[in-house]
Amino acid sequence: MAEGAGGAAANGGSDEKVLDFLDSVDSYLTTMESLAPILRQGWFDLASARHSMGVFRVSSASLDLKDHSASTYLQMVGHESDDSFVGQPSFSLCKWASADNKSCCSEEEIPDSQLRHRGTSRLSENQEQNSNGDDSLKTVDDLVKKERSKTLSVFGTLVSPKLRTAQLSFETALEVLVEAANIRSSMLSAYSQVQKQMEDTREGEIGPIP
Amino acid sequence: MYGFEALTFNIHGGYLEAIVRGHRASLLTAADYNNLCQCETLDDIKMHLSATEYGPYLQNEPSPLHTTTIVEKCTLKLVDEYKNMLCQATEPLSTFLEYITYGHMIDNVVLIVTGTLHERDVQELLEKCHPLGMFDSIATLAVAQNMRELYRLVLVDTPLAPYFSECITSEDLDDMNIEIMRNTLYKAYLEDFYRFCQKLGGATAEIMSDLLAFEADRRAVNITINSIGTELTRDDRRKLYSNFGLLYPYGHEELAICEDIDQVRGAMEKYPPYQSIFAKLSYGEGQMLDKAFYEEEVKRLCLAFEQQFHYAVFFAYMRLREQEIRNLMWISECVAQNQKSRVHDSVVFIF
Repeated sequence: MAEGAGGAAANGGSDEKVLDFLDSVDSYLTTMESLAPILRQGWFDLASARHSMGVFRVSSASLDLKDHSASTYLQMVGHESDDSFVGQPSFSLCKWASADNKSCCSEEEIPDSQLRHRGTSRLSENQEQNSNGDDSLKTVDDLVKKERSKTLSVFGTLVSPKLRTAQLSFETALEVLVEAANIRSSMLSAYSQVQKQMEDTREGEIGPIP
Repeated sequence: MYGFEALTFNIHGGYLEAIVRGHRASLLTAADYNNLCQCETLDDIKMHLSATEYGPYLQNEPSPLHTTTIVEKCTLKLVDEYKNMLCQATEPLSTFLEYITYGHMIDNVVLIVTGTLHERDVQELLEKCHPLGMFDSIATLAVAQNMRELYRLVLVDTPLAPYFSECITSEDLDDMNIEIMRNTLYKAYLEDFYRFCQKLGGATAEIMSDLLAFEADRRAVNITINSIGTELTRDDRRKLYSNFGLLYPYGHEELAICEDIDQVRGAMEKYPPYQSIFAKLSYGEGQMLDKAFYEEEVKRLCLAFEQQFHYAVFFAYMRLREQEIRNLMWISECVAQNQKSRVHDSVVFIF
């Protein structure tokens, strides 16, 4: 009885791992499918920008060959949560980390708002929190706009909105790629867990070799 | 005196006017564009163009073709035609024809200066320059560190020298300064070209005034839209607008303070010729503005051919060819990227 219950629990556990693996495969395939149209749109927007600004203005001759730091970094963090299997690396983008601005100013990182503690009405506290939040959002927005313009400045300071749209498309594509890499990492991790589970089950059925 | 050109124009300009009207007849038609839009590959485009005057320029290009190759070869054809006309032109037509190329010269100067700032090889930059804007000392631009040196070492002996008086500083060249330099030079060039055409008088002055005024207005709108969200101040923006055109001066005052495309629309819709352009766009949409302006420009350029005995036909022909090359570039890109459904987004039919 106890063995039956234990067996059912083990089966339930392995089913869950298989489901996790299948979910991650589905997410990975969906993410990869969404990448192609974004890239297509980016290239199309770039062609539109060349049509608008002129082929002589938007060309490879404009790119900067001076030594300069990358505007975007890919950070990889690998961890081992268990000695029995390889740690699952995770990837994150650090966007617009220019020479002037050493820390990343990715849109997701909103600096902590400095909230002043008041003993007065909740409404004024909330308003202050909202305005502090709005101010910090505006600061991040301005920084993001500035960094984007800096990246495009190789083509000139007054560029067509189509070139900015192309930049956004390729940024989105980069984010999707990093997301796909993370999902792939968890997919491979889920797969290795399923494999291990299957090996353990097989050994359990065969029994120890005399 | 206006109206008496018929008596004397043909003495010096008749042959070349006939030549340019012959060239105009060889511009691609709507049927040609329909065929080109149905091509599956760039080699198909090459095959269709082989039956046109572009044929000899593309026939020796090996496969696989690239879109930049098609643009380059088609531009070469335009350059050959221009040089043929220039070498047979007498004054003042020769000066008029040279004026047409100063815009490309400015673009080339900016390309070389920007490329040098970005540590690009000068030879590589020279290959990317527009052939219509080349001049003898262009390679020497690479040694200049600021605008004063640029002027003193190189540009003082070029036709662009008079345009530099407004933007000579000792500040080192950087991306913002270069952009302001580009637009200031172009503004000075347009105003000078306008004055030159006014001096010529007659039908040339009348037709070219309209075409150059439209060009100045379109530049003002583009500068406004492109500078939204950038560090360019309102005063700096206003300084880049030309001092003529339908929008001068009140339209410029309104454009200088615009912060988004809808405000630009609000400023432009007060002028009847531009109402029809903005009527084609829905609110918030700026993507089709380029095409709307190109369509209006093509309409005005085609009208220039309705009158005889003036120089505006040369300007109109050059601009129509450039539009044709833009169309070919767009069609090639759509075919190469398998985006044929979007090909009519930016093709402007000339006939």
